[in-house]
Amino acid sequence: MSAIVAEGLAKHFNPDIKAVDGIALDVPEGQIFGFLGANGSGKTTTVRMLTTLLRPTAGRAEVSGLDVTRHAGAVRSRIGVALQEAGLDDIQTGRELLTLSARLYRVAHAEIHDRVDQLLRIVDLEDAADRRLKTYSGGMQRRLDLAAALVHRPSVVFLDEPTTGLDPISRDAIWRYVGELNRSEGVTFFLTTQYLEEADRLCHDVAIMDTGRIVAQGSPEELKASIGTDVVSLRIDGGADELARAEQAVRRFEGIEDVRVVDDAVICYVREGSSAIARLVLLLDDASLRAKEVTLSRPTLDDVFLKKTGHHLEAEDGNPPGDAAGRPGRGRRP
Amino acid sequence: MTRALADTYYLTLRALRETMRQPALEIGNVFIPIFFFAVTVGAIGSSAARAFGVDNYTGFQMPIAVLQGVAGAAGVAGIGTVTDIERGYFDKLLLTPAPRLSLAMGRLAADGVRICLLSAFILVIGLLFGSGLESGPFGAVVLVAMSGSFGLAYSGIGMALALKTGSAQAAQLGFLIFFPLLFLSPAFAPKEFFAPWLEFLATINPVTYIVEGMRSLVLEGWDAAALGKAFASIVAMGAFTMTLVLLGLRSRTA
Repeated sequence: MSAIVAEGLAKHFNPDIKAVDGIALDVPEGQIFGFLGANGSGKTTTVRMLTTLLRPTAGRAEVSGLDVTRHAGAVRSRIGVALQEAGLDDIQTGRELLTLSARLYRVAHAEIHDRVDQLLRIVDLEDAADRRLKTYSGGMQRRLDLAAALVHRPSVVFLDEPTTGLDPISRDAIWRYVGELNRSEGVTFFLTTQYLEEADRLCHDVAIMDTGRIVAQGSPEELKASIGTDVVSLRIDGGADELARAEQAVRRFEGIEDVRVVDDAVICYVREGSSAIARLVLLLDDASLRAKEVTLSRPTLDDVFLKKTGHHLEAEDGNPPGDAAGRPGRGRRP
Repeated sequence: MTRALADTYYLTLRALRETMRQPALEIGNVFIPIFFFAVTVGAIGSSAARAFGVDNYTGFQMPIAVLQGVAGAAGVAGIGTVTDIERGYFDKLLLTPAPRLSLAMGRLAADGVRICLLSAFILVIGLLFGSGLESGPFGAVVLVAMSGSFGLAYSGIGMALALKTGSAQAAQLGFLIFFPLLFLSPAFAPKEFFAPWLEFLATINPVTYIVEGMRSLVLEGWDAAALGKAFASIVAMGAFTMTLVLLGLRSRTA
């Protein structure tokens, strides 16, 4: 059964701004689904429509089999949501906030105390439970926000950029909780993230969003396989002219599938990249150009993203969309 | 209905806890009306009493001090809501199954409770100044209930502006609107002494009837007509401001 379904879902803020432009989604129960996209691509607007915070302009969506517009109240009872910024009340303590959430989500009165203790334990906040939230670090607030989203044992959880801006340890902790809950309780997660290697590692399926539309959807392996080639990155010594000439030069290579110019690099999608490298460098040499760095790799989600959207995904915290330690996934970035 | 009341109760407790943790914010609401009350009675009390034929000008002014306290305290719900919106916590509340109106009523009811406590305190100060209270202890209860329910209804203006705009400056407009309403009521002199145009404005001003209702409890005892008009004004104002609040809530999820 599907946990989330959308058909022709759209949100237009005025006739000219199509934040979400008719997307289709089908997320089976028990999946971790990654929703990838740059700032302004429409990810957050989609999440806000699916979680009943925004009315769609057109189309329809169901969560847990319930229409998000006609049965908004019932949808809210079944979902947990942690939005992009941990929206917490810093006058309250962590325990008070979770207790209030439990009450508003109709958790049985007799169960609230134990449930709050359990969640505080799960997110490692037992020692800070009775401190006011204004004393919490960003990572602690995100963990508490996640706990608040889980307080009523929702069957579907939406996490909008749950790890952006967090240190690697806090990020790892958030992903560990997500993975455990998905495995142990079958909770469906719909998450947006800018960390593509994390999405690759954790998500069963992902969708790539660009300018309000879904441009690719499938499992990370399927999407990477869809590129079907190796990726050779040639960082060119020189400026825009040299890059343009380098692009023309490598296009003469007979095994080339596609070429992109990104920053100071020419990205070549080729079959059998290991044997293509020497030929590509020779073609540059023939054009009196020099590659200051050459990298060969199998396709990553970043390559899929680049190929589908024409640009890299830049993380909001200023880091490239690398792994959990904030390292670039590839050596070709400036 | 039961769930809506329960959710309103939980959110009221949360708003009151917030107040208890920031007691300094209440100092102005207590000090300013008492200061103006003392200065007004001290400066013009005896001459105003003779000029207007009012035997007890201290009692005449005491409801004005209470209403000034109400005006100051009634802005807290709106400001608190703006803070929740800015922090993103209001979205978290919108995501719960709690009825939308409960999200607003929790803070408004907390304003009502705070205003009752504040009014009781100002009333005690007024009694110490010698205002008297012809309606007795039960009249004190009615006066406090009247100020609390008026405060709750009046807080709706700041709440509606907060919900519609998400702006603290806009939410504070509710406080600023109150002073023209107070000065266009028989706050300092009986209506009979007003110029005709001012008397007309006072007649259509709902605050006039609340002032006269409270004043009747202090100066006359039990005047059913004055109390009826006062509570009718509060109900009418409440119906108007709650409609604005509902529209504001709707705009939050457009």
